[in-house]
This record gives sequence, structure tokens and C-alpha cells, in this order.
Amino acid sequence: MAEQTIAIEIDENGKIKAETEGIKGEMCLDELQKLLEDFGELQSVNKTDEFYQNQTINVNNKIQNKKL
Amino acid sequence: MSAVVKTITPFINKEMLLQALDCLNFKYKIKGNEIVTERVDYYGNQKFVFVNGRYQFQHDSSANKTDYPWRNLNAKDYKTVSSFLEAVEKEYNRIYAEKLEELERIRQEQLAEQERIRLEEEMKRIEQERIAFVEKQKQTIIQKAKEQGYSVQEKKVNNKIKLILQRNTY
Repeated sequence: MAEQTIAIEIDENGKIKAETEGIKGEMCLDELQKLLEDFGELQSVNKTDEFYQNQTINVNNKIQNKKL
Repeated sequence: MSAVVKTITPFINKEMLLQALDCLNFKYKIKGNEIVTERVDYYGNQKFVFVNGRYQFQHDSSANKTDYPWRNLNAKDYKTVSSFLEAVEKEYNRIYAEKLEELERIRQEQLAEQERIRLEEEMKRIEQERIAFVEKQKQTIIQKAKEQGYSVQEKKVNNKIKLILQRNTY
């Protein structure tokens, strides 16, 4: 079992900062995009170490899906 | 042959005319539409009578002579009718100008007050718009997060909203 966390901060002017934890690879950006796609243009994207790690969970899920 | 005729300022406003007489230390009595002065000529008290929208000064036409035999002339500085009316006119115009200045000052204050109220309302409206927008952002994120299986914790820190979204994957 892996815990995925997204910490979102909305300041008083509506500016949003979001940070993922426990979500590896490009999936973290996908998750943020799903949540924040309606809120205008991004100012910056900083990729953390986890972004460059393998998406083991995702891959495992895909393997399991194929088996089904 | 030519002629130049000038009239004195029409005394339209009773209140200002009375103030002008007060300023010149002339005593008077008000009788209906008449302001009766202490200046007494051959025909009696000279008076201002309200006719055709202004106060006309009624007097013996001969009372403009410097050697006019006054029965009673309270103010020796203004022996002739014309000198008296010139003095009243001067005070009347001064009082009139002051009144206009005062009204203009009040008008400016009211405009400033109206502008202050308008700006306050504008600030409130902008503030409410901002709060509503931020709230809508928060609710949208929470809704989307829940649809994607996240549990949501909400905190408020330093006027900022913090949402912690968590879910477990297997």
C-alpha cells in the first residue's frame, strides 16, 4: 500500500501552489493537471526527485489490468 | 448723445439683505413684505418693499440731495439714498459671495463623502469577489479530489487555505 499526498495551498488572492508526495514519474503531473486544469496558466513547474523515479505502482497496475 | 445706466444689484434674497443691514448697523422692522428702516424722509420711513421678485427701496425722490432735510437719518455716513444703497449693495454682494463659497464648500464635502462611500462600496465589492473566487477554487479542488478518491483535510494558515489530499494505492 502506498500513500499519495497532494498538498495544495491557496493564498488570499487565489494563487495556487500544489506539491505531490508519493506519486512517482509523470503521474504526479497528471494528477495535478486533473485537479488544477481549470485554474489558469501555470507560473512554474519544479520537478522533484520522485518525478524521475519509476512509476512502479502505475506499471504494476497496468500489468494487473492486462492479466484481467 | 449717449447714456449709460447702471442699476444696483437686485436685492432678491431677504435673509442676505437683512444681514447686510445688520452689518451696517441699521435697525429695521419687518412688516409683511416690507423691511422698514429708520431712515425717515418727508414721506415717512424709507423701506424695502418686495415687488416683482426683488426688494425695491421706496423713498422720497428728493432724498438723494446731500442737503436733504431728513426728519431722522440714523447713519450720517450715508446721507444720500444712493450712498446708502451702495453700502447695502456692497455688504449684500459680500454676503452673497460668502454664501456661494460656503455652499460650494459644502457641495465639495458632499461630493468627497459620496466619493468616499462609492470607493468603500467598490472595495467591498472587489473583496467579496475575491473571497467568492477563492472559495469557488477551493470547492472545485475538493470536489475533483474526492471524485479521484482523495480524502481532503482543510486548514487555514496565515490567511492561506491548505488542503491536504490523501489516498492509498495498492
